[in-house]
Amino acid sequence: MEAHTKMNDVQSTIVTVIEQLLERSNKSDIQVSLDSPIHGDGLGLDSLETAELSAILEDEFGTDPFGAGLMPETVAEIADYYIEGDGSNASVPA
Amino acid sequence: MTTSIGSGSPRTVIVTGGSRGLGAGIVQSFLDSGDRVATCSRSETQAVKEWETNPDYAGRFLFRAADIADREQSTQFVQAVIDEWGAIDVLVNNAGVARDGILALFTDEDSDTVIDLNLKATIHLTRQVVRNMLAHRSGRIVNISSIVGLTGYRGLTVYGATKAALDGFTRALARELGSRKITVNSVAPGYLKTEMSHGLDEAQLDQIVRRTPAGRLGDPDDIARAIQFLVDERNDWLTGQVLVVDGGLTC
Ligand SMILES: NC(=O)c1ccc[n+]([C@@H]2O[C@H](COP(=O)([O-])OP(=O)(O)OC[C@H]3O[C@@H](n4cnc5c(N)ncnc54)[C@H](OP(=O)(O)O)[C@@H]3O)[C@@H](O)[C@H]2O)c1
Repeated sequence: MEAHTKMNDVQSTIVTVIEQLLERSNKSDIQVSLDSPIHGDGLGLDSLETAELSAILEDEFGTDPFGAGLMPETVAEIADYYIEGDGSNASVPA
Repeated sequence: MTTSIGSGSPRTVIVTGGSRGLGAGIVQSFLDSGDRVATCSRSETQAVKEWETNPDYAGRFLFRAADIADREQSTQFVQAVIDEWGAIDVLVNNAGVARDGILALFTDEDSDTVIDLNLKATIHLTRQVVRNMLAHRSGRIVNISSIVGLTGYRGLTVYGATKAALDGFTRALARELGSRKITVNSVAPGYLKTEMSHGLDEAQLDQIVRRTPAGRLGDPDDIARAIQFLVDERNDWLTGQVLVVDGGLTC
């Protein structure tokens, strides 16, 4: 698989996961893009929503950047964790 | 998303330390209510073998030999349950150990054993399960503490400290998870007829019975019924509490 195709898959999976999370939190009016900051004025996730995101990512990919002690600040930084290989055996579910 | 608590469909229940004593009574209770039950203990018992081979429980009983005071084994146990059944609906933190002896003669080793299991192992395992419950936004957690954490009992200082700490854990976690439809409560049993109370001599047991309004020691079933009540789907407004089930001993 070409590197950029894989990158898009990972990024779009993460964007979908976050959109679903926001929908559950009745915040579906918020637009999710790669450069959206996760907290504050961006997606505005609180600590519990961040924990949910961490758990859902772990379910999806087997590992997650928050659990690994990293504190990604944007959606792109979450994706980078998987793309750059920190998420060692991460693969996108078919 | 799973919303399987109650409403007739089987729930996925984890009971730690279900091979004997109170834990075995809790496992049986959830098997009887038609749920899927996963349990662990360091060694397998006859009760476990019978559950594993009983055709009535086929596909809804899972046992793993695991020492949950070992974080790796604890993680593997919870992962095995998630791999098998996905979403966890109910967690009963039952595994616990008591070492008796007055503090002045207590060894550090015994303190570690009691704190490592009753407190640290419970916290580690709960954290993993909470992550799963957050992902599906529902769940019921019951921590088995003890009246000894509420009243104090000579010779059980460290044990009592861990049980009082568990009740604090219950209250704080209930606050953290309340908005996610996850309830957290403690059940504080009085003295039960299990191996754990074998540390007490005949005279002590007689005295306990005499002071108990209900006039007897407790059965695992007395506690299991209280747990079933706390994890009932309808009881989503009951959280952060310590329910004392002791025949009235401490009232
Ligand atoms: N009995 C009472 O009167 C009483 C009163 C109040 C509260 N409680 C509480 O009720 C709970 C159960 O007590 P019980 O009387 O049923 O005790 P028990 O008869 O000693 O049973 C303890 C169970 O936990 C398991 N266990 C012990 N250490 C473990 C470990 N490191 N990892 C995994 N499993 C472990 C045991 O199996 P293995 O040994 O094979 O691991 C067994 O299945 C405890 O939390 C206790 O504090 C009991």
